[in-house]
Amino acid sequence: MEDFETLLKGSAAAHGHLCPGQVVGVRMAMEGCRLLGLDNPRELPQIKTLIVYVEMDRCATDAISFVTGVKLGRRSLKFINNGIMAATFVHLETGKAFRIVSRETARDLAHEYAPEIGDKHQQQLEAYKRMSLDDLFTVEEVRVTVKASDMPGPTRFKAVCQDCGQVVRDKREVMKNDRILCRPCALGTYYQPVTPQGKKNV
Amino acid sequence: MCKPKRDPAFRTIPVEEAVGTTLAHDMTEVIPGESKGPAFKKGHKITSGDLCRLMRMGKNNLYILDLANDEVHEDGAVLELAAALSGPGVTFSASPAEGKLELRAEYPGLFKVKVQALEEFNMLQDVMCASIHTHAAVKANQSLAATRAIPLVIHRTDLDAAVNFAGENYPILSVKIFQPLKIRLIITGNEVYKGLIKDQFKAIVEQKTTDLGATLEEAVILPDDRDMISAQIRNYLEKDTDLIITTGGMSVDPDDVTKAGIEDSGFEQIHYSAAVLPGAMFLLGYHKNTAIMGLPACGLYHKTTIFDLILPRIMAGEKPGPRDLARLSHGGLCLNCKPCRFPACSFGKAG
Repeated sequence: MEDFETLLKGSAAAHGHLCPGQVVGVRMAMEGCRLLGLDNPRELPQIKTLIVYVEMDRCATDAISFVTGVKLGRRSLKFINNGIMAATFVHLETGKAFRIVSRETARDLAHEYAPEIGDKHQQQLEAYKRMSLDDLFTVEEVRVTVKASDMPGPTRFKAVCQDCGQVVRDKREVMKNDRILCRPCALGTYYQPVTPQGKKNV
Repeated sequence: MCKPKRDPAFRTIPVEEAVGTTLAHDMTEVIPGESKGPAFKKGHKITSGDLCRLMRMGKNNLYILDLANDEVHEDGAVLELAAALSGPGVTFSASPAEGKLELRAEYPGLFKVKVQALEEFNMLQDVMCASIHTHAAVKANQSLAATRAIPLVIHRTDLDAAVNFAGENYPILSVKIFQPLKIRLIITGNEVYKGLIKDQFKAIVEQKTTDLGATLEEAVILPDDRDMISAQIRNYLEKDTDLIITTGGMSVDPDDVTKAGIEDSGFEQIHYSAAVLPGAMFLLGYHKNTAIMGLPACGLYHKTTIFDLILPRIMAGEKPGPRDLARLSHGGLCLNCKPCRFPACSFGKAG
Protein backbone atom coordinates (compact mmCIF):
# COMPACT_ATOMS: atom_id res chain seq x y z
CA MET A 1 0.00 0.00 0.00
CA GLU A 2 1.22 3.48 -0.78
CA ASP A 3 2.11 5.87 2.02
CA PHE A 4 -0.47 8.15 3.62
CA GLU A 5 0.50 11.37 1.82
CA THR A 6 0.44 9.69 -1.58
CA LEU A 7 -2.93 8.13 -0.89
CA LEU A 8 -4.32 11.42 0.41
CA LYS A 9 -3.13 13.27 -2.67
CA GLY A 10 -4.70 10.70 -4.94
CA SER A 11 -7.90 10.61 -2.93
CA ALA A 12 -8.27 14.39 -2.97
CA ALA A 13 -7.72 14.42 -6.73
CA ALA A 14 -10.31 11.71 -7.26
CA HIS A 15 -12.81 13.35 -4.93
CA GLY A 16 -12.29 16.86 -6.23
CA HIS A 17 -10.88 18.62 -3.19
CA LEU A 18 -8.79 18.10 -0.09
CA CYS A 19 -10.77 18.31 3.14
CA PRO A 20 -10.79 16.91 6.69
CA GLY A 21 -13.17 14.19 5.52
CA GLN A 22 -10.57 13.00 3.04
CA VAL A 23 -7.98 12.74 5.80
CA VAL A 24 -10.37 10.84 8.06
CA GLY A 25 -11.42 8.53 5.23
CA VAL A 26 -7.88 7.74 4.11
CA ARG A 27 -6.75 6.99 7.66
CA MET A 28 -9.88 4.95 8.35
CA ALA A 29 -9.31 2.88 5.22
CA MET A 30 -5.63 2.36 5.94
CA GLU A 31 -6.41 1.20 9.46
CA GLY A 32 -9.20 -1.08 8.26
CA CYS A 33 -6.88 -2.73 5.76
CA ARG A 34 -4.10 -3.05 8.31
CA LEU A 35 -6.45 -4.78 10.75
CA LEU A 36 -7.48 -7.26 8.05
CA GLY A 37 -3.91 -7.87 6.93
CA LEU A 38 -4.48 -6.36 3.47
CA ASP A 39 -1.56 -4.44 2.01
CA ASN A 40 -2.68 -4.20 -1.61
CA PRO A 41 -6.48 -4.17 -1.59
CA ARG A 42 -6.85 -2.39 -4.94
CA GLU A 43 -5.38 -5.25 -6.94
CA LEU A 44 -5.86 -8.97 -7.38
CA PRO A 45 -6.03 -11.17 -5.43
CA GLN A 46 -6.88 -8.92 -2.46
CA ILE A 47 -9.47 -6.89 -4.38
CA LYS A 48 -11.77 -9.91 -4.22
CA THR A 49 -11.43 -10.37 -0.47
CA LEU A 50 -12.71 -7.02 0.81
CA ILE A 51 -16.17 -5.56 1.31
CA VAL A 52 -16.62 -2.23 3.05
CA TYR A 53 -19.91 -1.07 4.55
CA VAL A 54 -19.91 2.71 4.78
CA GLU A 55 -22.46 4.42 6.98
CA MET A 56 -22.33 7.88 5.40
CA ASP A 57 -22.32 9.31 1.89
CA ARG A 58 -19.88 12.10 2.50
CA CYS A 59 -16.28 12.99 1.64
CA ALA A 60 -14.78 10.17 3.71
CA THR A 61 -16.70 7.62 1.67
CA ASP A 62 -14.86 8.58 -1.49
CA ALA A 63 -11.56 8.41 0.35
CA ILE A 64 -12.31 4.91 1.59
CA SER A 65 -13.27 3.86 -1.89
CA PHE A 66 -10.06 5.31 -3.33
CA VAL A 67 -7.73 3.72 -0.80
CA THR A 68 -9.34 0.29 -0.76
CA GLY A 69 -10.56 0.08 -4.34
CA VAL A 70 -14.04 -0.90 -3.24
CA LYS A 71 -16.76 0.32 -5.57
CA LEU A 72 -20.55 0.34 -5.58
CA GLY A 73 -20.58 -1.15 -9.06
CA ARG A 74 -18.29 -3.99 -8.01
CA ARG A 75 -20.64 -4.68 -5.09
CA SER A 76 -17.64 -4.38 -2.77
CA LEU A 77 -18.88 -1.05 -1.38
CA LYS A 78 -22.13 -1.16 0.57
CA PHE A 79 -23.97 1.97 1.66
CA ILE A 80 -25.84 1.75 4.95
CA ASN A 81 -27.65 5.04 5.35
CA ASN A 82 -27.03 5.58 9.06
CA GLY A 83 -25.61 9.09 8.83
CA ILE A 84 -22.68 7.98 10.97
CA MET A 85 -19.05 8.58 10.12
CA ALA A 86 -18.23 4.90 10.28
CA ALA A 87 -17.20 2.04 8.07
CA THR A 88 -16.91 -1.70 8.55
CA PHE A 89 -14.17 -3.57 6.74
CA VAL A 90 -14.97 -7.21 6.06
CA HIS A 91 -12.50 -9.87 4.92
CA LEU A 92 -14.56 -12.32 2.90
CA GLU A 93 -12.16 -15.22 3.23
CA THR A 94 -11.37 -15.07 6.94
CA GLY A 95 -14.69 -13.61 8.03
CA LYS A 96 -12.87 -11.05 10.13
CA ALA A 97 -14.49 -7.62 10.30
CA PHE A 98 -13.76 -4.34 12.04
CA ARG A 99 -16.08 -1.37 12.43
CA ILE A 100 -14.23 1.92 12.69
CA VAL A 101 -16.09 4.98 13.90
CA SER A 102 -14.78 8.52 13.74
CA ARG A 103 -14.81 10.06 17.23
CA GLU A 104 -16.80 13.29 17.44
CA THR A 105 -14.38 14.36 20.21
CA ALA A 106 -11.64 14.55 17.58
CA ARG A 107 -13.00 17.96 16.58
CA ASP A 108 -12.36 19.29 20.09
CA LEU A 109 -8.81 17.96 20.03
CA ALA A 110 -7.93 19.63 16.73
CA HIS A 111 -6.50 22.74 18.41
CA GLU A 112 -4.21 20.58 20.55
CA TYR A 113 -2.77 18.76 17.57
CA ALA A 114 -2.43 21.81 15.33
CA PRO A 115 -2.30 24.86 17.64
CA GLU A 116 -0.30 26.93 15.15
CA ILE A 117 -3.13 26.96 12.60
CA GLY A 118 -5.86 29.56 13.09
CA ASP A 119 -8.30 28.60 10.36
CA LYS A 120 -10.65 25.97 11.77
CA HIS A 121 -10.97 24.01 8.52
CA GLN A 122 -7.22 23.91 7.96
CA GLN A 123 -6.63 23.15 11.63
CA GLN A 124 -8.91 20.10 11.47
CA LEU A 125 -7.33 18.93 8.25
CA GLU A 126 -3.81 19.07 9.66
CA ALA A 127 -4.80 17.80 13.10
CA TYR A 128 -6.50 14.72 11.69
CA LYS A 129 -3.25 13.89 9.91
CA ARG A 130 -1.29 14.10 13.16
CA MET A 131 -3.87 12.71 15.57
CA SER A 132 -3.31 9.33 17.22
CA LEU A 133 -5.60 6.59 15.97
CA ASP A 134 -7.02 6.26 19.48
CA ASP A 135 -8.04 9.91 19.49
CA LEU A 136 -9.39 9.74 15.96
CA PHE A 137 -11.31 6.46 15.97
CA THR A 138 -13.03 3.82 17.99
CA VAL A 139 -12.47 0.34 16.60
CA GLU A 140 -14.61 -2.69 17.29
CA GLU A 141 -14.20 -6.22 15.98
CA VAL A 142 -17.58 -7.34 14.65
CA ARG A 143 -19.20 -10.11 12.69
CA VAL A 144 -21.02 -9.33 9.45
CA THR A 145 -23.20 -11.86 7.70
CA VAL A 146 -22.89 -11.02 4.03
CA LYS A 147 -25.97 -12.22 2.21
CA ALA A 148 -25.50 -14.40 -0.83
CA SER A 149 -27.51 -11.84 -2.76
CA ASP A 150 -25.08 -9.08 -1.70
CA MET A 151 -21.95 -10.81 -2.89
CA PRO A 152 -19.80 -9.50 -5.73
CA GLY A 153 -19.73 -11.53 -8.90
CA PRO A 154 -22.21 -12.40 -11.61
CA THR A 155 -25.92 -11.81 -11.03
CA ARG A 156 -27.26 -14.98 -9.45
CA PHE A 157 -30.78 -13.92 -8.57
CA LYS A 158 -33.34 -12.46 -10.93
CA ALA A 159 -37.09 -12.03 -10.68
CA VAL A 160 -39.61 -10.35 -12.94
CA CYS A 161 -42.10 -7.85 -11.53
CA GLN A 162 -45.57 -9.21 -12.15
CA ASP A 163 -46.92 -5.68 -12.41
CA CYS A 164 -44.56 -3.72 -14.66
CA GLY A 165 -42.39 -6.51 -16.07
CA GLN A 166 -39.15 -4.98 -14.82
CA VAL A 167 -36.35 -7.44 -14.07
CA VAL A 168 -35.34 -7.23 -10.42
CA ARG A 169 -31.85 -8.38 -9.50
CA ASP A 170 -30.32 -9.65 -6.29
CA LYS A 171 -33.45 -10.62 -4.36
CA ARG A 172 -34.79 -7.08 -4.02
CA GLU A 173 -38.25 -8.21 -5.11
CA VAL A 174 -41.18 -8.10 -2.70
CA MET A 175 -44.14 -10.44 -2.26
CA LYS A 176 -47.30 -8.36 -1.99
CA ASN A 177 -50.80 -9.78 -2.22
CA ASP A 178 -49.46 -13.03 -3.68
CA ARG A 179 -47.64 -11.18 -6.46
CA ILE A 180 -43.91 -10.82 -6.94
CA LEU A 181 -43.30 -7.11 -7.42
CA CYS A 182 -40.42 -4.70 -7.80
CA ARG A 183 -40.07 -2.25 -4.93
CA PRO A 184 -41.43 0.74 -6.87
CA CYS A 185 -44.61 -1.17 -7.68
CA ALA A 186 -44.93 -2.63 -4.19
CA LEU A 187 -43.81 0.23 -2.01
CA GLY A 188 -44.02 3.38 -4.14
CA THR A 189 -41.41 5.48 -5.84
CA TYR A 190 -38.99 8.18 -4.77
CA TYR A 191 -39.96 10.08 -7.94
CA GLN A 192 -43.20 11.29 -9.48
CA PRO A 193 -43.88 10.84 -13.21
CA VAL A 194 -44.22 14.17 -14.97
CA THR A 195 -46.49 12.91 -17.73
CA PRO A 196 -49.82 11.47 -16.67
CA GLN A 197 -49.38 8.59 -19.10
CA GLY A 198 -46.37 7.40 -17.16
CA LYS A 199 -43.41 5.89 -19.00
CA LYS A 200 -42.24 7.73 -22.09
CA ASN A 201 -38.96 7.97 -23.86
CA VAL A 202 -38.14 11.65 -23.89
CA MET B 1 -33.88 -38.46 3.33
CA CYS B 2 -30.62 -40.37 3.08
CA LYS B 3 -29.71 -43.70 1.61
CA PRO B 4 -26.46 -45.63 2.29
CA LYS B 5 -23.63 -44.13 0.28
CA ARG B 6 -20.02 -44.88 -0.37
CA ASP B 7 -17.59 -43.86 2.35
CA PRO B 8 -16.67 -40.19 2.31
CA ALA B 9 -13.64 -39.73 0.15
CA PHE B 10 -11.26 -38.77 2.94
CA ARG B 11 -7.60 -39.42 2.41
CA THR B 12 -4.59 -38.48 4.48
CA ILE B 13 -1.71 -37.15 2.45
CA PRO B 14 1.56 -35.36 3.23
CA VAL B 15 1.13 -31.61 2.90
CA GLU B 16 3.78 -31.35 0.17
CA GLU B 17 1.61 -33.61 -2.02
CA ALA B 18 -1.57 -31.61 -1.42
CA VAL B 19 -1.41 -29.12 -4.30
CA GLY B 20 -4.57 -29.36 -6.39
CA THR B 21 -6.52 -31.27 -3.76
CA THR B 22 -9.55 -30.03 -1.85
CA LEU B 23 -9.64 -29.52 1.91
CA ALA B 24 -12.23 -31.60 3.70
CA HIS B 25 -12.73 -29.15 6.55
CA ASP B 26 -11.88 -25.64 7.77
CA MET B 27 -8.29 -25.20 8.90
CA THR B 28 -7.79 -22.90 11.84
CA GLU B 29 -4.75 -20.70 12.18
CA VAL B 30 -3.74 -19.35 15.56
CA ILE B 31 -1.38 -16.40 15.67
CA PRO B 32 -0.56 -16.01 19.38
CA GLY B 33 -1.88 -12.75 20.77
CA GLU B 34 -3.22 -11.65 17.38
CA SER B 35 -5.83 -13.84 15.84
CA LYS B 36 -7.56 -17.18 15.64
CA GLY B 37 -9.66 -18.06 12.65
CA PRO B 38 -10.01 -20.21 9.57
CA ALA B 39 -6.93 -19.74 7.38
CA PHE B 40 -8.47 -22.06 4.81
CA LYS B 41 -12.09 -22.92 4.40
CA LYS B 42 -13.49 -26.35 3.80
CA GLY B 43 -13.55 -26.99 0.06
CA HIS B 44 -10.50 -24.79 -0.61
CA LYS B 45 -8.38 -26.06 -3.48
CA ILE B 46 -4.77 -26.03 -2.32
CA THR B 47 -2.23 -24.15 -4.40
CA SER B 48 1.54 -24.22 -4.21
CA GLY B 49 1.37 -20.82 -2.54
CA ASP B 50 -0.55 -22.33 0.36
CA LEU B 51 2.08 -24.90 1.32
CA CYS B 52 4.38 -22.62 3.31
CA ARG B 53 1.48 -21.24 5.30
CA LEU B 54 0.17 -24.72 6.05
CA MET B 55 3.61 -25.79 7.25
CA ARG B 56 3.87 -22.69 9.43
CA MET B 57 0.54 -23.75 10.91
CA GLY B 58 2.13 -27.07 11.83
CA LYS B 59 0.26 -29.08 9.22
CA ASN B 60 2.42 -31.90 7.91
CA ASN B 61 -0.50 -34.09 6.83
CA LEU B 62 -3.94 -33.16 5.56
CA TYR B 63 -7.31 -34.70 5.18
CA ILE B 64 -8.35 -34.09 1.64
CA LEU B 65 -11.49 -34.81 -0.25
CA ASP B 66 -11.47 -36.14 -3.77
CA LEU B 67 -14.61 -34.87 -5.46
CA ALA B 68 -15.72 -36.82 -8.47
CA ASN B 69 -17.18 -34.82 -11.34
CA ASP B 70 -20.70 -35.78 -10.35
CA GLU B 71 -20.24 -34.84 -6.70
CA VAL B 72 -20.81 -31.47 -5.05
CA HIS B 73 -19.37 -30.39 -1.73
CA GLU B 74 -21.98 -29.66 0.93
CA ASP B 75 -21.11 -25.94 1.05
CA GLY B 76 -21.70 -25.49 -2.66
CA ALA B 77 -24.78 -27.66 -2.52
CA VAL B 78 -26.44 -25.75 0.28
CA LEU B 79 -26.09 -22.46 -1.57
CA GLU B 80 -27.97 -23.99 -4.50
CA LEU B 81 -30.62 -25.43 -2.20
CA ALA B 82 -31.09 -22.13 -0.37
CA ALA B 83 -31.38 -20.20 -3.61
CA ALA B 84 -34.00 -22.61 -4.91
CA LEU B 85 -36.08 -22.62 -1.73
CA SER B 86 -35.97 -18.88 -1.02
CA GLY B 87 -38.71 -16.84 -2.60
CA PRO B 88 -39.32 -13.12 -2.23
CA GLY B 89 -38.50 -11.82 1.23
CA VAL B 90 -36.23 -14.74 2.13
CA THR B 91 -32.46 -14.29 2.13
CA PHE B 92 -29.44 -16.20 3.34
CA SER B 93 -25.77 -15.78 4.05
CA ALA B 94 -23.11 -16.32 1.42
CA SER B 95 -21.12 -18.36 3.95
CA PRO B 96 -22.54 -21.73 4.99
CA ALA B 97 -21.70 -22.82 8.51
CA GLU B 98 -21.06 -26.52 8.99
CA GLY B 99 -22.73 -27.19 5.67
CA LYS B 100 -25.92 -25.44 6.73
CA LEU B 101 -27.59 -22.17 5.77
CA GLU B 102 -30.17 -20.32 7.75
CA LEU B 103 -32.88 -18.61 5.72
CA ARG B 104 -33.95 -15.26 7.13
CA ALA B 105 -36.62 -12.64 6.54
CA GLU B 106 -35.58 -9.74 4.30
CA TYR B 107 -38.41 -7.55 5.61
CA PRO B 108 -41.26 -7.79 8.15
CA GLY B 109 -44.26 -9.71 6.94
CA LEU B 110 -46.24 -12.92 6.87
CA PHE B 111 -44.14 -16.04 6.43
CA LYS B 112 -45.63 -18.38 3.87
CA VAL B 113 -44.71 -22.00 3.45
CA LYS B 114 -46.05 -24.29 0.75
CA VAL B 115 -46.33 -27.00 3.34
CA GLN B 116 -47.04 -29.90 1.01
CA ALA B 117 -44.19 -28.91 -1.29
CA LEU B 118 -41.82 -28.59 1.66
CA GLU B 119 -42.78 -32.05 2.80
CA GLU B 120 -42.18 -33.46 -0.69
CA PHE B 121 -38.84 -31.66 -0.87
CA ASN B 122 -37.81 -33.50 2.27
CA MET B 123 -38.72 -36.81 0.64
CA LEU B 124 -35.98 -36.24 -1.92
CA GLN B 125 -32.58 -37.87 -1.66
CA ASP B 126 -29.93 -36.36 0.62
CA VAL B 127 -31.47 -32.93 1.23
CA MET B 128 -33.43 -31.36 4.04
CA CYS B 129 -35.13 -28.12 4.94
CA ALA B 130 -36.83 -27.33 8.26
CA SER B 131 -38.91 -24.20 8.77
CA ILE B 132 -40.99 -22.43 11.36
CA HIS B 133 -44.74 -22.60 10.82
CA THR B 134 -46.47 -20.98 7.93
CA HIS B 135 -48.48 -17.80 8.61
CA ALA B 136 -46.11 -16.60 11.33
CA ALA B 137 -45.71 -12.85 11.60
CA VAL B 138 -41.99 -12.32 11.20
CA LYS B 139 -39.59 -9.46 11.72
CA ALA B 140 -36.74 -8.48 9.42
CA ASN B 141 -33.74 -10.82 9.75
CA GLN B 142 -35.74 -13.34 11.76
CA SER B 143 -34.74 -16.95 11.22
CA LEU B 144 -37.34 -18.75 9.10
CA ALA B 145 -35.81 -22.01 8.04
CA ALA B 146 -32.56 -23.88 7.56
CA THR B 147 -31.42 -26.20 4.84
CA ARG B 148 -28.50 -28.45 4.05
CA ALA B 149 -27.33 -31.40 2.03
CA ILE B 150 -27.16 -34.40 4.32
CA PRO B 151 -23.81 -35.93 3.30
CA LEU B 152 -20.48 -34.15 3.03
CA VAL B 153 -20.70 -34.62 -0.73
CA ILE B 154 -23.93 -34.96 -2.65
CA HIS B 155 -24.40 -36.42 -6.10
CA ARG B 156 -25.13 -33.80 -8.72
CA THR B 157 -28.22 -35.68 -9.86
CA ASP B 158 -29.69 -35.67 -6.34
CA LEU B 159 -28.91 -32.00 -5.92
CA ASP B 160 -30.38 -31.13 -9.29
CA ALA B 161 -33.53 -33.09 -8.47
CA ALA B 162 -34.02 -31.07 -5.28
CA VAL B 163 -33.25 -27.74 -6.93
CA ASN B 164 -35.55 -28.49 -9.85
CA PHE B 165 -38.35 -29.56 -7.53
CA ALA B 166 -38.04 -26.33 -5.57
CA GLY B 167 -38.03 -24.40 -8.83
CA GLU B 168 -41.20 -26.10 -10.02
CA ASN B 169 -42.89 -25.23 -6.72
CA TYR B 170 -41.43 -21.74 -6.41
CA PRO B 171 -41.68 -20.14 -4.00
CA ILE B 172 -41.75 -22.82 -1.34
CA LEU B 173 -40.75 -20.19 1.24
CA SER B 174 -41.64 -16.51 0.99
CA VAL B 175 -42.55 -13.49 3.07
CA LYS B 176 -45.56 -11.41 2.12
CA ILE B 177 -44.90 -7.83 3.03
CA PHE B 178 -47.15 -6.21 5.63
CA GLN B 179 -49.13 -3.31 4.24
CA PRO B 180 -49.57 -0.10 6.21
CA LEU B 181 -53.28 -0.58 6.80
CA LYS B 182 -55.47 2.24 8.03
CA ILE B 183 -57.50 0.91 10.94
CA ARG B 184 -60.54 2.35 12.70
CA LEU B 185 -61.79 1.01 16.00
CA ILE B 186 -65.20 0.81 17.66
CA ILE B 187 -65.17 -0.07 21.34
CA THR B 188 -68.62 -1.23 22.43
CA GLY B 189 -70.11 -1.65 25.88
CA ASN B 190 -72.53 0.32 28.03
CA GLU B 191 -70.18 0.05 30.99
CA VAL B 192 -67.32 1.70 29.09
CA TYR B 193 -69.58 4.22 27.33
CA LYS B 194 -71.04 5.37 30.65
CA GLY B 195 -67.60 5.54 32.22
CA LEU B 196 -68.30 2.87 34.80
CA ILE B 197 -65.08 1.17 33.81
CA LYS B 198 -62.11 2.42 31.89
CA ASP B 199 -61.51 1.10 28.38
CA GLN B 200 -58.44 -1.09 27.99
CA PHE B 201 -59.12 -2.40 24.51
CA LYS B 202 -57.80 0.60 22.61
CA ALA B 203 -54.29 0.26 24.00
CA ILE B 204 -54.22 -3.47 23.26
CA VAL B 205 -55.47 -3.06 19.69
CA GLU B 206 -53.21 -0.10 19.03
CA GLN B 207 -50.11 -1.92 20.21
CA LYS B 208 -50.80 -5.10 18.27
CA THR B 209 -51.68 -3.31 15.03
CA THR B 210 -48.94 -0.71 15.07
CA ASP B 211 -46.39 -3.42 15.85
CA LEU B 212 -47.16 -4.81 12.40
CA GLY B 213 -47.02 -1.43 10.68
CA ALA B 214 -50.69 -0.38 10.70
CA THR B 215 -51.99 2.95 11.89
CA LEU B 216 -54.95 3.38 14.18
CA GLU B 217 -56.66 6.35 12.56
CA GLU B 218 -59.67 6.71 14.81
CA ALA B 219 -61.37 5.11 17.82
CA VAL B 220 -64.81 5.67 19.34
CA ILE B 221 -66.64 4.22 22.31
CA LEU B 222 -70.29 3.30 21.75
CA PRO B 223 -73.01 1.82 23.93
CA ASP B 224 -74.50 -1.58 23.15
CA ASP B 225 -76.79 -0.03 20.58
CA ARG B 226 -77.20 -1.93 17.31
CA ASP B 227 -78.13 1.12 15.26
CA MET B 228 -75.34 3.32 16.58
CA ILE B 229 -72.78 0.59 15.95
CA SER B 230 -74.08 0.04 12.45
CA ALA B 231 -74.09 3.77 11.68
CA GLN B 232 -70.53 4.13 12.92
CA ILE B 233 -69.35 1.26 10.73
CA ARG B 234 -70.98 2.87 7.70
CA ASN B 235 -69.30 6.12 8.64
CA TYR B 236 -65.92 4.35 8.71
CA LEU B 237 -66.66 2.70 5.37
CA GLU B 238 -67.07 6.11 3.78
CA LYS B 239 -63.56 7.00 4.88
CA ASP B 240 -60.30 5.52 3.66
CA THR B 241 -60.42 2.47 5.94
CA ASP B 242 -58.69 -0.86 5.32
CA LEU B 243 -59.76 -2.59 8.52
CA ILE B 244 -62.51 -1.90 11.03
CA ILE B 245 -62.16 -3.51 14.42
CA THR B 246 -64.96 -3.77 16.94
CA THR B 247 -64.43 -4.94 20.48
CA GLY B 248 -66.94 -6.59 22.80
CA GLY B 249 -70.57 -7.51 22.30
CA MET B 250 -69.79 -10.67 20.36
CA SER B 251 -71.26 -13.23 22.74
CA VAL B 252 -74.80 -14.49 23.36
CA ASP B 253 -76.16 -12.15 26.04
CA PRO B 254 -79.10 -9.83 25.23
CA ASP B 255 -76.76 -6.84 25.38
CA ASP B 256 -74.36 -8.37 22.84
CA VAL B 257 -75.52 -6.56 19.70
CA THR B 258 -72.24 -5.81 17.96
CA LYS B 259 -72.58 -8.75 15.58
CA ALA B 260 -76.08 -7.55 14.62
CA GLY B 261 -74.73 -4.04 14.11
CA ILE B 262 -72.06 -5.37 11.76
CA GLU B 263 -74.62 -7.41 9.85
CA ASP B 264 -76.73 -4.26 9.37
CA SER B 265 -73.84 -2.22 8.06
CA GLY B 266 -73.38 -3.68 4.59
CA PHE B 267 -70.71 -6.35 4.98
CA GLU B 268 -71.48 -9.08 2.47
CA GLN B 269 -69.20 -11.83 3.71
CA ILE B 270 -69.42 -12.40 7.43
CA HIS B 271 -67.90 -15.42 9.15
CA TYR B 272 -68.85 -15.78 12.79
CA SER B 273 -67.14 -18.18 15.18
CA ALA B 274 -63.72 -19.74 14.92
CA ALA B 275 -62.23 -23.01 16.12
CA VAL B 276 -59.84 -21.22 18.44
CA LEU B 277 -59.77 -20.73 22.18
CA PRO B 278 -59.55 -18.01 23.26
CA GLY B 279 -61.53 -16.37 20.50
CA ALA B 280 -64.38 -18.71 19.56
CA MET B 281 -66.86 -15.81 19.26
CA PHE B 282 -64.70 -14.05 16.69
CA LEU B 283 -66.23 -12.40 13.63
CA LEU B 284 -64.47 -11.76 10.34
CA GLY B 285 -66.09 -10.01 7.41
CA TYR B 286 -65.37 -8.21 4.16
CA HIS B 287 -66.98 -5.40 2.20
CA LYS B 288 -65.17 -4.52 -1.04
CA ASN B 289 -61.61 -3.74 0.06
CA THR B 290 -62.41 -3.28 3.73
CA ALA B 291 -62.20 -6.04 6.30
CA ILE B 292 -63.90 -6.08 9.67
CA MET B 293 -62.97 -8.00 12.77
CA GLY B 294 -65.25 -8.42 15.75
CA LEU B 295 -63.12 -9.16 18.77
CA PRO B 296 -64.74 -10.91 21.70
CA ALA B 297 -64.06 -9.61 25.20
CA CYS B 298 -61.61 -12.44 25.92
CA GLY B 299 -58.99 -10.22 24.32
CA LEU B 300 -59.01 -8.10 27.46
CA TYR B 301 -57.91 -10.99 29.63
CA HIS B 302 -55.87 -13.28 27.42
CA LYS B 303 -52.59 -11.95 26.15
CA THR B 304 -52.91 -13.96 22.94
CA THR B 305 -56.12 -14.75 21.10
CA ILE B 306 -57.38 -15.43 17.60
CA PHE B 307 -56.79 -11.74 16.88
CA ASP B 308 -53.04 -12.47 16.94
CA LEU B 309 -53.50 -15.29 14.43
CA ILE B 310 -55.70 -13.47 11.90
CA LEU B 311 -54.34 -9.92 12.08
CA PRO B 312 -50.99 -10.76 10.39
CA ARG B 313 -52.85 -12.38 7.51
CA ILE B 314 -55.07 -9.34 7.02
CA MET B 315 -51.99 -7.13 7.24
CA ALA B 316 -50.43 -9.16 4.43
CA GLY B 317 -53.47 -8.63 2.22
CA GLU B 318 -55.02 -12.06 2.70
CA LYS B 319 -58.73 -12.67 3.09
CA PRO B 320 -59.09 -15.71 5.36
CA GLY B 321 -62.45 -17.45 5.02
CA PRO B 322 -64.45 -20.07 6.93
CA ARG B 323 -62.11 -22.88 5.89
CA ASP B 324 -59.11 -20.95 7.20
CA LEU B 325 -60.87 -20.33 10.50
CA ALA B 326 -61.75 -24.03 10.75
CA ARG B 327 -58.22 -25.10 9.86
CA LEU B 328 -56.98 -23.29 12.93
CA SER B 329 -58.71 -25.93 15.08
CA HIS B 330 -55.65 -28.17 15.10
CA GLY B 331 -53.37 -26.13 17.32
CA GLY B 332 -56.13 -23.69 18.13
CA LEU B 333 -56.16 -24.32 21.87
CA CYS B 334 -54.09 -21.88 23.89
CA LEU B 335 -52.56 -23.46 26.99
CA ASN B 336 -52.54 -20.15 28.90
CA CYS B 337 -48.90 -20.53 29.86
CA LYS B 338 -47.57 -18.12 32.44
CA PRO B 339 -45.71 -16.30 31.10
CA CYS B 340 -47.12 -16.43 27.60
CA ARG B 341 -44.48 -17.67 25.12
CA PHE B 342 -46.46 -17.00 21.94
CA PRO B 343 -45.44 -17.28 19.13
CA ALA B 344 -42.94 -19.85 20.44
CA CYS B 345 -45.68 -22.36 21.24
CA SER B 346 -48.23 -24.58 19.55
CA PHE B 347 -51.02 -21.98 19.50
CA GLY B 348 -52.19 -21.28 15.97
CA LYS B 349 -49.77 -23.74 14.41
CA ALA B 350 -52.16 -25.80 12.34
CA GLY B 351 -50.31 -28.93 11.33
